[in-house]
Amino acid sequence: MANKFVLTYLVYLPVVLLLTLYVARSLFKNGRVFMLDIFRGKTEIADSTNRLFEVGFYLINIGFALRIMEVNGYWAENLYDTNQEVVETLAGKIGGFAIYLGIMLFLNLFLFMRGRRKSNANRMPRPVEPTAPALA
Amino acid sequence: MNLNLLAYLLFFPAMMALAVGVAQTCHRHGRPWMLGLFDNNDVLVDALNNILLVGCYLVNLGYIALVMAAWENVITIEQLVGTLGQHIATIVLVLAGLHYQNIAVLLLWSHFKHRARIDHHQHQP
Repeated sequence: MANKFVLTYLVYLPVVLLLTLYVARSLFKNGRVFMLDIFRGKTEIADSTNRLFEVGFYLINIGFALRIMEVNGYWAENLYDTNQEVVETLAGKIGGFAIYLGIMLFLNLFLFMRGRRKSNANRMPRPVEPTAPALA
Repeated sequence: MNLNLLAYLLFFPAMMALAVGVAQTCHRHGRPWMLGLFDNNDVLVDALNNILLVGCYLVNLGYIALVMAAWENVITIEQLVGTLGQHIATIVLVLAGLHYQNIAVLLLWSHFKHRARIDHHQHQP
């Protein structure tokens, strides 16, 4: 194999797909708690909404990962035939993707927190707590 | 062996272990603070804490990989030691900065929550 483009793609694809899978699973496993809070314990609609968001998360992130997969620019004009180039290219692509994924994770978390706050604000006001008995 | 590859081989596992260790320490010892902030709702706190742990891994490991992508060409052993020191220092300082920022957020948030509670009690008839 003269140049290492195919090798780069073969390493890049599994790493990125598994990373997305792991992040999405742990995000939405824990996100269920927020959804239950937002929909006030209605399990069915909370799970459905959670699943819809999870599918959206996969689509956006795998789409972005494939979008940045191609090795181009500086490398495409050179031989691209050493392992050093492969490691550096992969580090740049996977590192950039991991930071992007982290930003998407925090965005989702922000949406969960915001939904929870709005849902709590709309809830019926609590009954007034009994105060301490007046003196004498 | 190419000295650049040797540098990556030394750098990446060591920095990954460091980042994971720091993240897990934050995860374990941040929990009591979060329990205070979310009124002892431990189900919510554990969910939030786990999501924050994954985010911490992603951002730190991503940054470590980006530092590797921008490594200069290493030709001599002296250069190898020099660049390794430089880049390890960068990562350690960034981790320290993020760590103190985390502590600051927890402290400030607890402080304002405490103040709000005191004000609330003072304004009750």
